[in-house]
Amino acid sequence: MYHSFEVDGVDHPVWLSASQDGYRLHLGDQVIAPVGFAHHSNSSGILTIAGESEPVRFVIDRDMIHVHIRGRTRTFRYRDPLQTLASVSQEASSLVARAPMPGVVVTTTVSPGQSVTAGMALMMIESMKLETIIRAPQDGVVDRIHFKEGESFERDAPLVTLSKEGR
Amino acid sequence: MHTLPFDTVLVANRGEIAARIIKTLRKLGLRSAVVYHEVDAHTPAVSMADTAIEISGRSPIAAYLDTAQLIAVAHKARAGALHPGYGFLSENAEFARAVRKAGITFIGPAPETIELMGDKIRARKFVQCSGFPVAPSAVDEDDPEEFVVRARAIGAPLLVKPSGGGGGKGMRIVRNLDSLEDAIEQARREGQRYFGDSRVYVERYIEKPRHIEVQVLGDSFGNVVHLFERECSVQRRFQKIIEETPSPALSPQLRKRICETAVGIARAANYQNAGTVEFIFGAGEFYFLEMNARLQVEHPVTEMVTGVDLVAEQVYAAAGRALGFSQSDIAANGHAIEIRLYAEAPERGYAPTTGKVLLLEYPDGVRIDSGILQGQQITTAFDPMLAKIIAHAPTRIESALKAHRAIREMILLGCETNASFLARILADEAFLGGEIHTGYLEEHPQMAADNFAFGLSAFLASAALLTRPVRESADAVPPLHAALGRWRN
Repeated sequence: MYHSFEVDGVDHPVWLSASQDGYRLHLGDQVIAPVGFAHHSNSSGILTIAGESEPVRFVIDRDMIHVHIRGRTRTFRYRDPLQTLASVSQEASSLVARAPMPGVVVTTTVSPGQSVTAGMALMMIESMKLETIIRAPQDGVVDRIHFKEGESFERDAPLVTLSKEGR
Repeated sequence: MHTLPFDTVLVANRGEIAARIIKTLRKLGLRSAVVYHEVDAHTPAVSMADTAIEISGRSPIAAYLDTAQLIAVAHKARAGALHPGYGFLSENAEFARAVRKAGITFIGPAPETIELMGDKIRARKFVQCSGFPVAPSAVDEDDPEEFVVRARAIGAPLLVKPSGGGGGKGMRIVRNLDSLEDAIEQARREGQRYFGDSRVYVERYIEKPRHIEVQVLGDSFGNVVHLFERECSVQRRFQKIIEETPSPALSPQLRKRICETAVGIARAANYQNAGTVEFIFGAGEFYFLEMNARLQVEHPVTEMVTGVDLVAEQVYAAAGRALGFSQSDIAANGHAIEIRLYAEAPERGYAPTTGKVLLLEYPDGVRIDSGILQGQQITTAFDPMLAKIIAHAPTRIESALKAHRAIREMILLGCETNASFLARILADEAFLGGEIHTGYLEEHPQMAADNFAFGLSAFLASAALLTRPVRESADAVPPLHAALGRWRN
């Protein structure tokens, strides 16, 4: 079983194994060795990877790892292998329309219990003066509307949950 | 010691501009007071000001737009003057009037000037009647059908704009005249929604136009000078991202002409205080676009090359002092580039981003006008601009290199920003060659795209090595076993 780091909804399976001169990094079928990390402070250190040294700045905030290397920044969510399996089975019975960006709810065009078809408008959101229509990802019944009109939400927040069957 | 008619100035703004204004007030020996909504309690301006007074409203933005509350706060802080910054109420003539009526000096031009320049249609007519160039256009008057006919007569391509607008909101380019009516309707709707004004105007759209503006300063004695131009052609959705001075597009003759035109317009308007005359420049010709009756976001590049503190000049002009220098005293030295750090993701259509600033470190050797502190929460309550980095060097290339180094050295973790996008532009051949225009980013869509795979293994290696459970599962297997082969469970 691999560990997984998620970025922008894409999982990157990773495995680390010990070797005599540090660690080996397994990325899919690719193996990079040796890799190592020397901490300089609680937010900086030097990564050694296949003979190269990279100064790294980082912050670990619960399951989020923010990393800065050479002017670029990436944020990874560490996904516990067991939790990953659990959430896959849970998501199968319901569908969630998530926020593509942070913003505010302008209007909601459906109500709980209503049947919707794929592509139907569920909600209009506004973000930085741009209006975006949130549409049903597939056929279903509106189970829950997570935010009222005028309420604000973060990116990836669930906006409308649909169930395949009515309750 | 100052000899100004007021000793305390209320800054009716937030973010980087509030902090920047406070710096000058301090330099001038003035006391600074700043207003803040509770979401801004932990920001640079609040910690820098001599007094910070909380304001409230239905939304954070509404608090900063509440004239009555701001004036009450000014009295409470015993402020003799008020600086509106940019945005919010800075170009609201009614606000300027209300401030004056309350016996407080408004640091900005006269309300009548704000009114004139705030109405794009009136401003254009004024400039045209004063004998200065404007682009061929049609103005929306009483008869909407006749307006469409006149707009059509200018010929494609056209630019449709809401009259009450600014910041590029509601603007549309029409290349095919069949879609003109739809574009006008859309601009009307957006104008009504954002500015409470459904009037629009249509003008000739100049292909590959450059946005060049001229900084002017006027006093109450009729003196007007310019502080050269700024080029702000690198824009996304009509919003500026990178600004510089001097413009790489102007010959010395054109520079002289455009700067003198700006002074002429300001003089005709009896302009007092700092202002900016914006022009559109293409094929060797320039046309008046609009005049901004306030301090601009990009004013620091002008300050870097001229050595003039524009906020100090605004304070002096508002206090009724005569300009302390004449045109011949102003010289531009070197080249300055400003880059705007935004909380947004260029690779996702410039969608705004949010988060808590967990680590913030600015580079040395450049000017930083920052509106954020480590620990601050970035929300979508306000404009996404977080900070500005301004690089000054003898030449354009050196200044771009300096800005490039600075943006790569800057560390901001916890909220996604456009930093690597800015770095890509600063290293782009077309940008470095000065081949920019307002459609530059649409013409080079690859600039907004991030090559995610590049360097990914170093990021994943760091993430893996910094995550305890990942390291623990590696350490659980002795190296001897591990050496035998890839471990599977």
